Amino acid sequence: MKAFQYVTAQSVDSARDWLGPRASYLAGGNDLLARMKEYLADPDLLVNVKSIPGLADIEPGDGHWTLGAQVTIARIEQDPQIRKLFPALHEAAAEVGSLQIRNVATLGGNLAQHSRCWYYRHRDVVCLKKKGPTCFARLGENKFHSLFTGNPCISTVVSNLSIALAALGAVVLVQQGKQTVRWSIADLYAKAWDNPIAHHSLAHGDLILKVEIPVEPGRSAYGQISEKGAFDWALVSCAAAAVFDDGRVKQARIVLGAVAPVPYQVEAANDLLKGKKIDEPLAARAADRLLAGAEPLEHNGYKIPMARALIQRTLLKLMG
Amino acid sequence: MPTWPKETKYIGRHVQRVDGPAKVTGSARYTSDVQPEGWLYGMILRSRWPAAKISDISLEKARQVPGIKAAILVREGERTIRYYGEELAAVAGTSKQACLDALRLIEVTASPLPFVVKETEALKDSSPPVWEKSPNLSKPKVVEKGDLAKAFGECAAVVEGFFTTPVLIHHPLETHGNTVSWTDEGITAWASTQGIFSVRDGLAGNLNVEQSKVRVISEFMGGGFGAKFGPGIEGALAARLSKAAKAPVKLMLTRFDQSLAVGNRPSSFQKIKLGASADGKLLAYELDAYGTAGIGSGGSTEGGGGGAEFPAPYIYTIPNIRVSHRGVTVNAGSARAFRAPGHPPASFGMESILDELAVKLNLDPVEIRLKNDPSPVRQREYQLGAERFGWKQKYHRPGSSPGPVKTGVGCAGASWGGGGGGTQAEAQINPDGSLEIRCGTQDLGTGTKTLIAVIAADLLQLKPDQIQVRIGDTRFPPSGGSGGSTTAASVSPAVFDACTQALEALQNQTGVADARGDNWKAACKKLGINPLIVGGKWQPGLSSSGTGGVQFAEVEVDADTGFVRVKKITCVQDCGMVVSRLTCESQVNGGIIMGLGYALYEQRVMDSTTGVVLNPNFETYKLPGLADVPQIDIILLDMPERGVIGIGEPVTIPTAAAIANAVANALGVRIGSLPITPDKVLAALGKTQAAHA
Ligand SMILES: Cc1cc2nc3c(=O)[nH]c(=O)nc-3n(C[C@H](O)[C@H](O)[C@H](O)COP(=O)(O)OP(=O)(O)OC[C@H]3O[C@@H](n4cnc5c(N)ncnc54)[C@H](O)[C@@H]3O)c2cc1C
Ligand code: SF4
Repeated sequence: MKAFQYVTAQSVDSARDWLGPRASYLAGGNDLLARMKEYLADPDLLVNVKSIPGLADIEPGDGHWTLGAQVTIARIEQDPQIRKLFPALHEAAAEVGSLQIRNVATLGGNLAQHSRCWYYRHRDVVCLKKKGPTCFARLGENKFHSLFTGNPCISTVVSNLSIALAALGAVVLVQQGKQTVRWSIADLYAKAWDNPIAHHSLAHGDLILKVEIPVEPGRSAYGQISEKGAFDWALVSCAAAAVFDDGRVKQARIVLGAVAPVPYQVEAANDLLKGKKIDEPLAARAADRLLAGAEPLEHNGYKIPMARALIQRTLLKLMG
Repeated sequence: MPTWPKETKYIGRHVQRVDGPAKVTGSARYTSDVQPEGWLYGMILRSRWPAAKISDISLEKARQVPGIKAAILVREGERTIRYYGEELAAVAGTSKQACLDALRLIEVTASPLPFVVKETEALKDSSPPVWEKSPNLSKPKVVEKGDLAKAFGECAAVVEGFFTTPVLIHHPLETHGNTVSWTDEGITAWASTQGIFSVRDGLAGNLNVEQSKVRVISEFMGGGFGAKFGPGIEGALAARLSKAAKAPVKLMLTRFDQSLAVGNRPSSFQKIKLGASADGKLLAYELDAYGTAGIGSGGSTEGGGGGAEFPAPYIYTIPNIRVSHRGVTVNAGSARAFRAPGHPPASFGMESILDELAVKLNLDPVEIRLKNDPSPVRQREYQLGAERFGWKQKYHRPGSSPGPVKTGVGCAGASWGGGGGGTQAEAQINPDGSLEIRCGTQDLGTGTKTLIAVIAADLLQLKPDQIQVRIGDTRFPPSGGSGGSTTAASVSPAVFDACTQALEALQNQTGVADARGDNWKAACKKLGINPLIVGGKWQPGLSSSGTGGVQFAEVEVDADTGFVRVKKITCVQDCGMVVSRLTCESQVNGGIIMGLGYALYEQRVMDSTTGVVLNPNFETYKLPGLADVPQIDIILLDMPERGVIGIGEPVTIPTAAAIANAVANALGVRIGSLPITPDKVLAALGKTQAAHA
């Protein structure tokens, strides 16, 4: 990697002050350091954000829980209350990489990580996402790529946590300039839908501070299918959360992962569930709505039946 | 003829690895741990082009990088590069970062050439030739026997199938590499190798140094699997860098390098037709196969070729056959021997089509094998294994498993040669009773040191940990490369001979009638000041070759998501006399896990447009992890009367075929392409949605 300077920020303000045009925030480093080793990133300064007071706290609450951006994925996975209140988040966390990775990887870093497209990650390939001329995956090896996208890049969002948090209706607190903005997970990734170069909506210097998760009196679940039994990326993932009234859905969110550059949601699918009891036929219809308009490429058409199965299973899991 | 003792205390039993503690505490020094005084890092610059004419490489700027002590070209003058990752130049420096910086400053003037990296594209006439003078698709090599057309006409059932297997990358946990010191006195190389003498001879030959002036040491090494016999380009470069820099140079490949250029298992594309009589007797077989060994078959391939050919119709004898093999050259790193070269693809194709035939004839897969397998050993193994596995209870008609998660079972067989020879060893008995055994073999991680200790301990009635085993040094009596599953069968008889002769000499010299066990120390004391050194060599009668093995697999396949989980593998394997049971079983476990990787996870992915290997890391080159490893049940057919036979390779052969057959049994449709990934399962079930045009 290229030589760089290193500072540890003790406050949000100082982190932002240090962040010059060629600097990067450093959290657990799983993503950033690997990109630096491959010469995909060459920041001149790393601003360590792990020591900022308050950003590594898990704060329980009646209305919502707040997780600091520097909370590690292992802590999320191992917290017994999170497991009880937000099973989708627990399950999504437990599937991230290996325990060694979860021990250092942070919530903020997980949400802000870059694409894992194997062309993007290749040191000698300059694709569209790296400001090159073309997307090689589109006519090449696109087994792991998107079914839905609003731009020529077909890489997918890979953060497990984003999928669960979207279903849970979480709000992301982002420091932007002098102000703290409140974004939905959809907001956090909206830019990646339209813009082939974007991995998320964060502009240079935007700092994720916290994530608020509303405590809803419902249930949630997450599931993924990978090629291996553990320590493997999701081919497709699905999270769902619902609030019930007398066994009927009052409100629900279903989200698909690894099929689009964003956690993929379809309002019509959520609406379909309202006022109904979840059973197999209903889950199948919800899957139809979510998967409508999918555009499979040469090697990723399998994601459609796989997603269908996952949607059905995840929804049925909500029924306990 | 010498014979192994009938009563044993250690031979054939579970004995802890003598070097286990050193390995788990980290005190064992692998090649990558060696740090001779003043050593430098070495690194290689590789081609970024899959094919190119290189007209000039300038090392000037690289040499200016602080810490860089040497920079050299792989070859002078213009040259043609034929694959992404081919070696161009190398540097040595005081830090990794200095080397990395230097590599980025080497200026290469290249004119890119057209290339082709996929077999299916390379075999077209229109594809750019990898070698200017010969077409990518070789002429078929054909073997014919009997009257095929007539025989197919007489068959009660004929099945046809198309099977493909991917290129696998050699990924031992310790990458390829050497630490080399080249001074006026000669060359000392610490090598991660499975053949210290072949590395010595390779270095001596390449660099024009007398063999007597080259010493190769490999005390501990982290796996080779067929890819680590010679010094490799990286070994020769380390030596040249050392000479230029006047310091030892450690050049261990990175995982990225490892994915490109150290050899691989060739792919195969097999069109097979098989016919049998109504009672399942195989009558006719036709194979039209091609596969790629990259730019060529390359690399030293002791223990089997590195080409794309494979034995067919594998373990079966069929009266009427036509076998055609073609090689396809592509712009990618070349093949090298890869654990049981040729056999795993052979087993996969043949055992798959055989199961299809069994289904068509309404025969049980074990039955059709018993009817056709010419090996009495495997006949016994199928019976033993089926009983232990519960085949009768578990086997059902293909596709008849209810529910979304389907269960299935399958089986497959394998054969291997093995056998030993050409090894010497010496025993040094010291007056204080300590004993050293020296042999110029090497331990691939299979447990050679333990094997030697077990034999010496039994013959001399000592404890294994009383014996100092010294191997992995070309100053010791010679032995061959550890390939073809020959190490145990080569080393054991030589150690037997050295120990028996040393005992006899000790008894003669000291007058102690039986110097073994309790008498040992007293006898040794009578030696006086000088130790007793006695040499021995491989003797016939203590080892043999030719093994058979069968495996049974039980799987669960989720028909909605395509996910395959292997629940159990039962392995019945013959390896003659078991010397060290623990390390022997460990070979079986490792072989099966590697076979599991072949079945479900591993494949090199090349990109047609850019010509690169897309998965040069363990994130996307998927290896089985702990969560994927099934229950493994091992039955070793103990046949001490046959002497020692190797086991390293046969145990990895039938695993993938057995798993593939189990998946087909579960689903009622066959996935004829390895690895069996969820996308292929869903496609085979007709669930996958086709791409928009
Ligand atoms: C082998 C492997 C397997 C993996 N498998 C999975 C998986 O299955 N599922 C999954 O979800 N993830 C997986 N990961 C990804 C892993 O979870 C992420 O790399 C990790 O979460 C990143 O967190 P980090 O703290 O290490 O981030 P870093 O590497 O430190 O940072 C990542 C990026 O986020 C930016 N950043 C960090 N913190 C903030 C912040 N607070 N605000 C704004 N920007 C910030 C950094 O500047 C950088 O660009 C895997 C990673 C590896 C290496
Ligand atoms: S999918 Fe995106 S990241 Fe991948 S090659 Fe195409 S443009 Fe690059």
